Amino acid sequence: MTYFLPCLYAFGASFAFAVVFNIKKNKLLFSALGGFVGQLTFALFQLIIGNDVILYMLAAIAISLYAEIMARATSSPTTIYLAVALIPLVPGGGMYYTMLYFINGETDLGVSTGIHTLLISGAMAVGIILVSSLVTLTRKIMIRRRLSIRKQSKQDLNESE
Amino acid sequence: MTISQLSHIAMEMGVILLSNGAETYRVEESMHRICIALGAREAEIFCVPTTIIISITMDDIETLTLTRRIHTRVTDLTKVDEMNHLSRQICYEAISYDELLLEIKHINNAPSYPYLLQVLAFAFISQMFTLFFGGSFKDSCIGFIIGIGTKLLMDIMSRLETNNFFINMVGGFIAATVAVTAAGLGLTTHMNTIIIGSIMTLVPGLVITNAIRDIIAGDYLAGLTKGIEALLIAASIAAGVAVPLSLLRPFWGG
Repeated sequence: MTYFLPCLYAFGASFAFAVVFNIKKNKLLFSALGGFVGQLTFALFQLIIGNDVILYMLAAIAISLYAEIMARATSSPTTIYLAVALIPLVPGGGMYYTMLYFINGETDLGVSTGIHTLLISGAMAVGIILVSSLVTLTRKIMIRRRLSIRKQSKQDLNESE
Repeated sequence: MTISQLSHIAMEMGVILLSNGAETYRVEESMHRICIALGAREAEIFCVPTTIIISITMDDIETLTLTRRIHTRVTDLTKVDEMNHLSRQICYEAISYDELLLEIKHINNAPSYPYLLQVLAFAFISQMFTLFFGGSFKDSCIGFIIGIGTKLLMDIMSRLETNNFFINMVGGFIAATVAVTAAGLGLTTHMNTIIIGSIMTLVPGLVITNAIRDIIAGDYLAGLTKGIEALLIAASIAAGVAVPLSLLRPFWGG
């Protein structure tokens, strides 16, 4: 339950963000489900992996995959699903504690927390880039294959004539 | 369709896409697709978060260049979705100029969710994130109140055309002031959790996502601009939160 509750909270927050971003009624639920998927991945891998930077990357990968699939399925832009689902992953706590350490005069703690926050943001970016590039690559390969099949069948037709 | 009609349609669609939160490559790609589908021989589009430049060549001699400056940017993903859909539709079926204009107007004037619902959604985000970061139900109710307060004040300020950074600074300021006051009155012991949960409503999620996607697509200029915008917004939220935390220090006993 301690692992499952944050997923529900992430779902609720994503759903409300979808309303704020003015996403259409029939896509509200699916875009909010992305937040749930991301947090679920985070919670599941938390049991195996201790490094939270990697965890953030895995969650970003899961969300991006979900967003790409949903975007193809409903033929709408990927951003609709991606932007809403990524928000629960944004390291708001890291940002806040960095600032708090600095105004308390604990500069060394502030610097280390700040760098950790930056690393998390970087890991999320890497996760998004990875999925988006792979999806583009597979799409290009599929288009090329389809073209070559079409060419082949045309040649066969010509030969048979 | 004449060249001026074509450029008008393409520019209108591009402006709506860009000012409602579409990625740069989507704007450029959609506009290019529309121009070619409507009969242009060549179309070059340059787009950054604040400007669109389009140059269309029809036949061999006629060339037209248009520039449009984008002043206000909001987030309305329904408009992005529908405009994207329309730009694909144009490629498959012939639509006349008047019909297209009507369609664009229809998409641009589509109603958003009622204002009350938006305020409640904003407050709900702040409540959910307070719970998400480990607050109790009572803490989350304080988060809910902060959410309503920030949304109302931010809307008043954006109606007065205050700049984005100051708005976020004030948002952070309100969140921290209310949380510190609540802690001072003994209503909660999780002051940090409430502040983190409430400032998550201000976090520029769409800007960050679009910045990364723009950079992957090769639009470095737009990507960097948006990345810096996101960093500055984060910094201004932190600055806004820092003020009450430092000034009211005796109050919360830090």
